[in-house]
Amino acid sequence: MSATSATPAVAQVEIPRPALIPRVLSAFSGTPGVVAKIVLLGILNAFAFWAMYVLLTRSHWVSVVVLALATAGIDLVYLAPTRKTLPLKFLIPGTIFLVGFQVIPIFYTVKVALSNYSTGHVITKHDAIQQIKINSLQPPPNGRSYTMTVARTSSGELVLLLQDQTSKKFYVGTTKALTPLAPSTVTSGPLGITAAKGYTVVKGAELFALDKTLQNFIVPVGKAGIRPQTISTAVELEPTLRYDAKRGVFIRLSDGAVFADNGKGAFAHGADELEPGWTTGVGAANFKRIAKDPLVRQPFLRVLIWTITFAALSVAISFAAGLFLAITLDKRGMRFQRVYRTILVIPWAIPGFLALLVWAGLFNDKFGVINRMFHIGIPWLFDANWAKVTCILVNAWMSTPYFFLVSMGALQAIPDELTEAGRVDGGTPFQLFRRVTFPLLLVAVAPLLIASFAFNFNNFNAIYFLTAGGPPQANSSIAGSTDILISYTYKLAFAAGKGQDLALASAFSIIIFAIVALISAIAFSRTRALEELA
Amino acid sequence: MTRKRTAAVVVVAIAAILAAVAGSTKAAVAATPVVTIWTDQNRKAAVTQVATAWANARGATVNIVVKDFGSIRDNLGTVAASDAPDVIVGAHDWTGQLAANGLVEPIYLTPAVKKQFPAYTLNAFSYGLAVKKLYGVPTQIENIGLVVDTGLVKIPTSFAMLEQEALAYKKKASGNLGIAVQQGSGGDAYHMYPFFSGLGGYIFGTNSAGNLDPSNIGVANPKFLKNAPLIDKWNKEGLINAAVDSSTAQNAFLKKQAAFWITGPWNSQLLSSSGLKFKVIQMPKIAYPSVPFLGVQGFMVTKYASAHGVDQLAQDLVSNYISTPSAQLALATANGRYPANIAAGKQVNDPVLAQFGKAGTGGVPMPNIPQMSSVWSDLGAAWVKSTKGAGATKARVAFTAAARSIADKIG
Repeated sequence: MSATSATPAVAQVEIPRPALIPRVLSAFSGTPGVVAKIVLLGILNAFAFWAMYVLLTRSHWVSVVVLALATAGIDLVYLAPTRKTLPLKFLIPGTIFLVGFQVIPIFYTVKVALSNYSTGHVITKHDAIQQIKINSLQPPPNGRSYTMTVARTSSGELVLLLQDQTSKKFYVGTTKALTPLAPSTVTSGPLGITAAKGYTVVKGAELFALDKTLQNFIVPVGKAGIRPQTISTAVELEPTLRYDAKRGVFIRLSDGAVFADNGKGAFAHGADELEPGWTTGVGAANFKRIAKDPLVRQPFLRVLIWTITFAALSVAISFAAGLFLAITLDKRGMRFQRVYRTILVIPWAIPGFLALLVWAGLFNDKFGVINRMFHIGIPWLFDANWAKVTCILVNAWMSTPYFFLVSMGALQAIPDELTEAGRVDGGTPFQLFRRVTFPLLLVAVAPLLIASFAFNFNNFNAIYFLTAGGPPQANSSIAGSTDILISYTYKLAFAAGKGQDLALASAFSIIIFAIVALISAIAFSRTRALEELA
Repeated sequence: MTRKRTAAVVVVAIAAILAAVAGSTKAAVAATPVVTIWTDQNRKAAVTQVATAWANARGATVNIVVKDFGSIRDNLGTVAASDAPDVIVGAHDWTGQLAANGLVEPIYLTPAVKKQFPAYTLNAFSYGLAVKKLYGVPTQIENIGLVVDTGLVKIPTSFAMLEQEALAYKKKASGNLGIAVQQGSGGDAYHMYPFFSGLGGYIFGTNSAGNLDPSNIGVANPKFLKNAPLIDKWNKEGLINAAVDSSTAQNAFLKKQAAFWITGPWNSQLLSSSGLKFKVIQMPKIAYPSVPFLGVQGFMVTKYASAHGVDQLAQDLVSNYISTPSAQLALATANGRYPANIAAGKQVNDPVLAQFGKAGTGGVPMPNIPQMSSVWSDLGAAWVKSTKGAGATKARVAFTAAARSIADKIG
């Protein structure tokens, strides 16, 4: 309640009309603040209780304890009658968001990068064993299918009343044996047996509740077994593999071949693997693959150089154009200034992917407006070098309004006295811009230039919607002429091998992160030098 | 200090009330078994109608969840088991990936039901490294066809006639196209497949067990390479051009700048409302029948159904109910597609749909093995390289390079 006690102190200071936000905030420092706090904490606790309940039903004991302690801790911080917890009141929300939106995603990316998570390796080993068992069942030659009715004997034992769909003969199946039923004791319709003497038919909700029991109900017939498939049919199936739980291996029944865990998330017999496999840690295997696989290594440098060129030129051109427009439109007393400014911001307001698709149409080699209007035949999208020009131009067009707005703001923040002083000293307008305005502007804009560079480094949409990485390279590798690292990663992980190689994609994104972080770090240290200069 | 204590009590009270409310709404639902179905927005209405009719007949409940079509496949591996679907509505070319991931369950149709479907539709949903198993019940088929503007040209009976008519029409005005077939700089192997198959190309061969063999790549097989110079000829005379993308192709046909358009039933409404006189046919045979790719959609049972305790119900819905002609007709026609069930197909009376169905005769289901993801971009790129007009690569070279690249990627 420290905020409450602080209110009178604020009131004593003579400020006629504080700004809107402080006024709104001060309205919360009395009773409404306490009520708001209690309600918010109550909702948080309710959410925590519910989460604990869900976690308890799924037996995640450790999570329950951690959650309970964390919630109690938060309650204590905000309710305790001491000022010692004051810094924590501000730190806790920030920390929670930091953990939720930064630390956990990074943790998972690293975890996936060190695993084999990809097509064929998405479930747990336990589930994989279960699925292999199910997949190993095969109808034997001349295997029969049955119409099935679930029933109980007078003693309550569960049985299957079966009618062979081909021979139309009746049987009763238990977990021990299949025995014929005399047709005279059975009433049947098109959906099989509806009643049988000595048996009570199980129907509706009672039948549905038996689902899990019936999943494991097998009527043995020689090596095969009749298994319920739907609520009214059963099929004769024979296993082709046997799972030896003690040794943890599958044995193929036809030839005794042993499929053992190969350490890479699959049961294998030589090169022969059983599907599905499971997710498991594989250490740095994905990074090693990136370093060694010629498919990855061969185009890497070319793609990296183009990515840096693309990002750098996009930023440079859009900044230059934005700044030029900002200076031009900064003239005082210019008519229709607002109209010009509004028009210039439009490219920024259009959804990016839409604009990109429109540009792709405008730049079409044969039918695009641009080539037709100017009566030229430039292969904008089908020549490797022209496609690169197109990508940079369109991307620059998309981000120019941003730098226009930013530069305009920054220009207005530069005090007029400085340029005036320069003018008095006899500087030409260009000299004034070069020596006074631009350096001061750069102090404000440089961090944004770096951020924009980092963004364009991973600007997947700009490439994918415009050229899809095309045109293809003559020697046909995965990377097209305009593929940047991130679109190349996408193709490598999702359009190669068996598709969906999320582990490889994660490993690659960590590498991309390292590259961007390195470039940004160098750039930022340079910016600091700039600031000292100013 | 009493205020503090009051505050704490209030906090706990609010929490308890909210938790109780949340708990009670959850408890109220779970009385009858619920089968959760994932489908996309386009199919939602028809799936809801058919599934609800089934649920009412059986005394169960269905919960229809709408997802983006592609997310149905991709989210199935990542969803929490408690929120996971028991049944999904998807495309046959997902089968390999989903089965390899262990996310779908085999389905055993009775011989009587199997007979109601063309063999290729069941084959399209079958996958297995050693033994092939069925993982889905097909509901609808789609394929592209050659749409002929019969107001402008005669229906071609041979490829030579098609070529001659298309080129003659192209010469009539400067903006005209020969055959409007979409590619764009990224390529489109799906729409180019009739040309590819007509020249003798195939994607994957089959092994002795009848399964698709990812090591047998037919993108540059000798038969195809022998006919490949035809592509160079078409490129030179401008019969097809890679710069034509989907909107260019569509506009050209609708504005009578092209007399031939290769497209699928998703444009049948557009065609019918265009006021043009048209007919959909299979593209005439080149060296071999110019068959299109077939896309089959259907229902699959996921591995989560067993854990949810609704395995036999989900299997009942998919194998006993969705397979019936009436359900098939309702599902397919609501979506503007041709039903997979043969008896249901005979009841389709939409002429355009029927024409598209006929244009798919002898077609090849898109390979359903996961390695197919390595093929699309390279095959599309080979077409772009060899049909981009001036400066095009020789088709033999482009397709040989594509085959090598695909083999490298599959590894």
